[in-house]
Amino acid sequence: MFPIEITDIFFYIVSALIIITAIFTVTAKNVLQSAIFLIFSFIGTAVFYLMLHAEFIAISQVMVYAGGVVIFVIFTILLTSRLGETNLSIKIPRTFISAIISLSLVFIMLRFLLQDSSLITSVPEAQNNYASLESMALRLLSVQSDGFVIAFELISLLLLVTLICSITIARKSKDNK
Amino acid sequence: MMNPVISHPLGNFIREVIPFPEVSFLINSIISIIAICAVAIGTAPILIYMERKICAHIQCRLGPMRLGFHGTLQTIADVMKLLFKEVYAPKGADKFLFYLAPMISLTAPFLALTMIPFDHNLQVANLSVGIPFIIAVNGFGILGILIGGWASNNKYSLLGSLRSGAQMISYEISFALVLLFVVMVSGSANLMEITQSQSGTILDWWIIKIPVLGFIAFIMFFISSTAELNRAPFDIAEAEQELTGGYHTEYNGTAFAMFYLAEYINLVTTSSLATTCFLGGFLPPLIGIESVDLLMMKVPGFIWFAAKVVFMISAYMVVRWTFVRPRVDQLMDFEWKFLLPANLLLLALGATYIAVLG
Repeated sequence: MFPIEITDIFFYIVSALIIITAIFTVTAKNVLQSAIFLIFSFIGTAVFYLMLHAEFIAISQVMVYAGGVVIFVIFTILLTSRLGETNLSIKIPRTFISAIISLSLVFIMLRFLLQDSSLITSVPEAQNNYASLESMALRLLSVQSDGFVIAFELISLLLLVTLICSITIARKSKDNK
Repeated sequence: MMNPVISHPLGNFIREVIPFPEVSFLINSIISIIAICAVAIGTAPILIYMERKICAHIQCRLGPMRLGFHGTLQTIADVMKLLFKEVYAPKGADKFLFYLAPMISLTAPFLALTMIPFDHNLQVANLSVGIPFIIAVNGFGILGILIGGWASNNKYSLLGSLRSGAQMISYEISFALVLLFVVMVSGSANLMEITQSQSGTILDWWIIKIPVLGFIAFIMFFISSTAELNRAPFDIAEAEQELTGGYHTEYNGTAFAMFYLAEYINLVTTSSLATTCFLGGFLPPLIGIESVDLLMMKVPGFIWFAAKVVFMISAYMVVRWTFVRPRVDQLMDFEWKFLLPANLLLLALGATYIAVLG
């Protein structure tokens, strides 16, 4: 649909946004502001998945991370008294050391990942509909060697157990009154 | 069985005029986004007027009467007043988050509206993951309320936002599970295909097609979406008598208008979702008598869609002004001890229905 140049420009804009928001996440003085910037960073990642035609993974990224995890983090910050109001005091030597560690990690990753030419792929090389909702759901439930039916069933059982547990806990507190 | 279908006159025209397919694609997307925004923002004043009138008549009052014919100009005057007010943040508030919160909460309803099929060819994005998208995007509404309440630096705002956050997160589970039921019976998460799966007579709509379960699912959707919308009887977040207005106590002027707008566009989005999932979307209510059916099929789909949406919105409004507000613990008890188990049971029964009869 797009020529590759427009997609490239879009890719660089989104990645710049992700990097900027990620930097703000670690440098923001306020914990709550960090959480907000983290959400924007996650949404940027979701846009990457969309550009790779993996719609369902993009939606899950927004649903699980931006809509679920970060909202619970914010909830915890709001419930913890005054944690969101006091500014984090970051000591200079510690910032310096962590900056060096993360920069060296980025350097090593770039150094070794760029050598592997099989990682350089573009959208047309992916199979058609490889990550669409239908094919993904069918692969999750398939009993063939490429299927994930046991893992899927185990996870769904775990989720059901969690839901029932939360209902039981809610019921017990009422009896105690 | 053909409806009068509006094809893509505007889209085709732009595609013909502009030689580059990328540029015409971009222009067409911008036009559809502007159209969605115009429809959403344009309906909000009408809905506010409608809400005032319905509220007044339920309480045996007349409502706005003086400005214009039966007070029709009252909302416009209110909007003007809100727009010309000075916008300021309270002392000690986190300015950045304070102004960010209304914008975030306004994002969610607009994004959800792009998935709704208004007619055969009237849909901004026809994603195969329409329902998961709407569930994912709903999270931003909660986020806006939480941030807004915290950034106001006011204990009533914070309490209100915490209450509404807990309420919305809890009821989102039921909301998602009812939508999952619809996805299960219609066999698709694409909203266009969900609508098409209900084609036929009025008996083929999902509310009636599955004997009792469809109606129960519709009621459950209605309850959980009322809680999601933070509307009475579930307006714990605002609860004027207890919290003086909840998370938007400190907001004024345009920022308050944005929260208010988000609330009403959310109402439109949820009603459209109910229409699409249970009431046959843009399909006309055919009753099986041929002469009447032919007449009804002459009416374009988006008019049927709008009529059903208005019906749903008035249902929400009548409920709002009829029922009393439950306490916070009663609200949570209702969700976790009744609605959620009932929803799981409904899913199991629905699966049985498909396995036996489908």
